[in-house]
Amino acid sequence: MNQTRATRLGLMLLQLLLATVVLLPFFWMISVSLKPPTEPFAIPARLWPDDPTIGNYITAFRPEFRTYFLNSLVVSLSTVAITVSLGLFAAYSFTRGQLAAISALIGLVVLAQMFPHSAIIIPIYKMMRGANLLNTYWSLILAYVSVTLPVAIWMLRGFLLKLPAALEESAAVDGATPMRVFWDIVVPLSRPGLIATSVYVLIVTWQEFLFALSFTSTKEMRTLPVGLNDFIGQYGIRYGELMASSVMVSLPVMAVFFFLQRYFVAGITAGAVKG
Amino acid sequence: MAAIELRKLTKSFGAYTALAGLDLSIGDGEFLVLLGPSGCGKSTTMRIVAGLEEPTSGEIRIGGRRVNDMPARDRDLAMVFQNYALYPHMTVGENIAYPLKIRKVARPEREALVRAAAERVDMGHLLTRRPAELSGGQRQRVALARAIVRRPQVFLMDEPLSNLDAKLRTVMRGELKNLQRDLGVTTIYVTHDQVEAMTLADRIVVLNKATIQQIGTPAEIYARPANTFVAGFIGSPPMNLLPGRLLDGWFSSEGGRFPLAHAAGDVLLGVRPEHVRIAPEGDGHFSGTVFSSELLGDCTILTVKAGDALIAAKLAPEAGLERGAPVTLNFEPGRMHLFDAATGLRRGEV
Repeated sequence: MNQTRATRLGLMLLQLLLATVVLLPFFWMISVSLKPPTEPFAIPARLWPDDPTIGNYITAFRPEFRTYFLNSLVVSLSTVAITVSLGLFAAYSFTRGQLAAISALIGLVVLAQMFPHSAIIIPIYKMMRGANLLNTYWSLILAYVSVTLPVAIWMLRGFLLKLPAALEESAAVDGATPMRVFWDIVVPLSRPGLIATSVYVLIVTWQEFLFALSFTSTKEMRTLPVGLNDFIGQYGIRYGELMASSVMVSLPVMAVFFFLQRYFVAGITAGAVKG
Repeated sequence: MAAIELRKLTKSFGAYTALAGLDLSIGDGEFLVLLGPSGCGKSTTMRIVAGLEEPTSGEIRIGGRRVNDMPARDRDLAMVFQNYALYPHMTVGENIAYPLKIRKVARPEREALVRAAAERVDMGHLLTRRPAELSGGQRQRVALARAIVRRPQVFLMDEPLSNLDAKLRTVMRGELKNLQRDLGVTTIYVTHDQVEAMTLADRIVVLNKATIQQIGTPAEIYARPANTFVAGFIGSPPMNLLPGRLLDGWFSSEGGRFPLAHAAGDVLLGVRPEHVRIAPEGDGHFSGTVFSSELLGDCTILTVKAGDALIAAKLAPEAGLERGAPVTLNFEPGRMHLFDAATGLRRGEV
C-alpha cells in the first residue's frame, strides 16, 4: 500500500497520542511513588518530583507485602499450572475428537465465558463454603481455574488446529501409543501456545480483586490486589505507598509480558487468519 | 517382509464413497503403485492399510494376519508422507531414531542403526540439523531414512516426490527404486504421476471413482489399456480416442474412414500419438489441417484437426508443419485399440 508522507506522519502522531493516553497512568503511578508524602497534592501539580525519594518503597515493602506477594505467587502459578494442563488436554480432544458431539461442546465453553465475575461470585462462594475451602489457597485457585479455563481452551485450540495431523499420524505409524504421541509430538510443538496461554492466565489471576477480596478473610491469605487496600484508610489514602506497592505489583507481570509478548500476540490471533 | 491382501474393501464418508469393494493382492517384496486422479481412492486405500482410517467393510491382511482391529503402531509399517511429516522439534538424528526409541532399542545399537540409515540416503553429515534447516530434497531423504531404519514389513509412500522440483524428482525416483530393490520390502506407493508409476512399479493399479480400472505391469497397462479411462490416463500426450462406427468392414469417423474388419457397432478407436504417421497425399485415412505443432526437442507433437476431432501425432523433431497446413494421416496397423462406445471397455486391438 502506498502511503503519502502526510498520512504516515498523521498515523505516527495518532500512535504517539494513543501511547501517551495508555502510558500516562503508569507514568503518574511511578511519579507519585517517588514523591515525598507532602507532594502528591502540591499546587501547582508537578509531573516529576523535585526531590525523588525511595522512602515510599521502603515503607511499602513491609512484612505483610511479602506475605501478599507469596500468596499471589502461589495462587497464580498454581492456577497457571492447572489451567494450562487441563486446557491442553481439553483443547486436544476438542481438536482431534472423532465425535461430532464433543466438537459441538466447544460452543458451550465459550458460553461459560460470557458470565461476568460478579454474576457467578455468589454461587462460587456458596460452593466454597460448602466445601469448607473459604480462606484457603484452593478457594482462589479453583475459582480462577474455572474462569480462565474457557479462554485457555479456546487459545490452545487455535494453536493445535495449526499442527499438521500428519505429524501425529507419522508418530502413530512409527509405533507410538496415543499418549506417547501426545507427550512426544503434541506437547513440545504446542510450546508457543502453552507460553501464550500461561501469560494470559497469569495476567488475569495476578490482578484479580473481587474473588480474592470475597474468599479470603485474614491478612495471612490476602493477595496483592487486595493488600493494596491496606493503604486506603477510613480517614485518608497514603498515595505514595499505595503507588509504590502498585509499581512492585505490576513489575513481575510487566516483565513476563515484555519477554513473552510475541507468543501472546500469536496466541490471541491463532487461527484468526488462514496461515 | 510380507504379502498384503485386501478383500472387498469399502470406505464411505457419509454419502461419499471413497472405495467401492476393492480386491487386491500384493506380493511379498513387490513394488505396487496406486495410480489415479485426485479423489480416486488411492490415498484412502493406503491410509486403511496403514491403520490411519478404518474401512467401512472388508478385510486387510498383512503377512497372512488379519489386521483390521490392529492399531497402526502394531502393524509394523513405515510410511513416508507427502509433506515428509518430520518432527520439527527434533534433529535429523532424533527424527530417524524415533521409531527405534519407541521400541526401546538400546542406545548404542540405535545410534549405529541411525548412522547406517542416514548414510544410506547420504544424510550422515547432517544428523544434528533441524528439519527447518534442510532443503526439500534433504527432508525427503530424512523421511526415507526414518522409514528404512527399522526394516519394517511394509513401506507405504504417499506421493513422496510431489513436493520436489522436476530434476530432483528424477534423481530421487531412481534412488527410491534402488533402495526398495536392495531392501526387498513390500511397498505401496501412491501417486497421480504416471511417469513415477511407469518407472517405479512392478505392478500398477489404476484407480478411478473408487474402483480399480486395471491391474498390470507398466508395459501391460501401456500396451493393453482395459478401458478408455486407462487409455487416456497413461501416456503423454494421451492416446487419441476417435468416436466412430464399425460397419461392413469399415471404420468410419467424422474425419475419415478406412477398412477394418471387426464386429459392427459404435466404438472408440484408440491410437497412441507415436503410432500416427503422416501419409503421402492420397494415401491417408484421415485428412485435416494442422492445429498446432510443438517441438519438444527430441520429438514434435503435431495436432491435426480432422472434422471435430483433434488427433495428436508424435513425429521426428524436424517433421513440424505450419499451422493450417493440410495434412493426411494414417495409423500403424496392429497398434490400434477398439473400445466399446457405450461402456468404454476394451474390445480388442486391430
